[in-house]
Amino acid sequence: MAVTAKSFQLWRCRIAPQATVSDLCREAGIKRSTLAQQLVRGKVAVVTVVAIARAYAVPPVKALGEFDGYRDIPRGVALPTDAELISQVSDTDLLRLIVARSEGREGIGRDLRLEIAHLPHRHSVRAWFDAIDPGELRQTLAARTGIAPQNLSAQLSAGRLTTGLAVEAARIARVSLTSGLVVTGLLTPSEGGWAEGSRARSLSNLPDSVLLLLARDRLDSLGKQVRRQEHGNNRDRAIWENLG
Amino acid sequence: MSAAEVIKWSVFGLCVIFALIRVPDALRGRNRSVFLSLVLLALAVGLSLPPLYLAVDQLLGGVNIANLVIRLSLYAIFAILGVRTAIAFGSQRTRRIIAGPIGLAVLAITVLVTVALFVVSDLPESSTGLRAYGDQQAVQWYADMGRYYPGYVAACLLSPATGGLLDGAARPIHRICSGLMAFGFALVVVFAVASIWGPLGLFDVILPFGAIVFVTVGLTVAWISRRRSEAGSQRNLLA
Repeated sequence: MAVTAKSFQLWRCRIAPQATVSDLCREAGIKRSTLAQQLVRGKVAVVTVVAIARAYAVPPVKALGEFDGYRDIPRGVALPTDAELISQVSDTDLLRLIVARSEGREGIGRDLRLEIAHLPHRHSVRAWFDAIDPGELRQTLAARTGIAPQNLSAQLSAGRLTTGLAVEAARIARVSLTSGLVVTGLLTPSEGGWAEGSRARSLSNLPDSVLLLLARDRLDSLGKQVRRQEHGNNRDRAIWENLG
Repeated sequence: MSAAEVIKWSVFGLCVIFALIRVPDALRGRNRSVFLSLVLLALAVGLSLPPLYLAVDQLLGGVNIANLVIRLSLYAIFAILGVRTAIAFGSQRTRRIIAGPIGLAVLAITVLVTVALFVVSDLPESSTGLRAYGDQQAVQWYADMGRYYPGYVAACLLSPATGGLLDGAARPIHRICSGLMAFGFALVVVFAVASIWGPLGLFDVILPFGAIVFVTVGLTVAWISRRRSEAGSQRNLLA
């Protein structure tokens, strides 16, 4: 959900009273034509707001809180749950941890020595969504926002979630309102209130059995996804080789 | 120039272009069968144009053998494209119907009957499309045969091509390719069936030449898709 051009203009006059639109774009590293187009359409993308906030040293979360639809975000920042943190560890890192533990290089409760990959990973959005789902998140989210369930599924499959949906999902699941913005890559973990090393801490406390079963579930869904992709690739190749 | 002539010349140009862009690939040994069918198609379409037909037929003795060349080229085109398209869309059943015992029998009978009808027809002088001999029963049957086999193959290909169009998981460019080819095949079937009730006027040109446009553009879309896939590198599914 984008913010209105009017509220954007008011906000930018507050944070940078002297700056022209060109200044904003130069400082924030966005194309002038992009912002101009958004202003003409009357809707400014959230990612634009975040980029400008960063450029003028305004915390992005505070900036978002200035706009309708996002006013509860600054107060809604909380520590991410363990499930959310673990969901943001990549499949490969889980497997590396299993191997490391089996060889005695890692242990439960010990500081993690493994270097885990930066956020977001390949299935960040879907994994986060599943991790916070109290039971009927999809249905509730669809009912509250009016998005068609198949469009929501399509977004999740493609690893995307619009800002409005990410925040609303967090509200429904009663987790930190910035979590969805972190896993979609809009905010950096530290901007979203995710402490440095929090994923590693959650990971190192994970019992072996939970770690194994989690990896199994991840591999299961990854396997299905890769099978679909291979199937699609084979069909593409059949067309290329026979008609192309 | 009449509307029919404009259509024919344009389609001829299109076929020549589509065949030419595949020359480099064909030289490298890639997908020569589709290239061959496009060359034959350019030949068949070219021979429907009076200046080219009369010139070529003179070389062949001036007894309309060029027309027989058109017919046999069309059969070859449909046999080749039929098999290729069936495999491309993953339909083994369709491939068997076209290239299996039944399909080959249908093709053999079609060729034999076509040649026989050509031989028994009385065609002493070059005439594009055998228009001067339309009142002969054998010539009419000969023309009918020329529509039945393409109609048969196109009907077999309708379902796999339409399946490719409706496949929501497929690449958009491949759905476009499938859709174009499906529509082209549908035109071939409509033409074969509608002609049973006699001449169709301008549609005698629009239907078959429209079909050629849709099928060849579909083939070229597949060609573009392959070229683009080679430009990008293979994705690592586990990365």
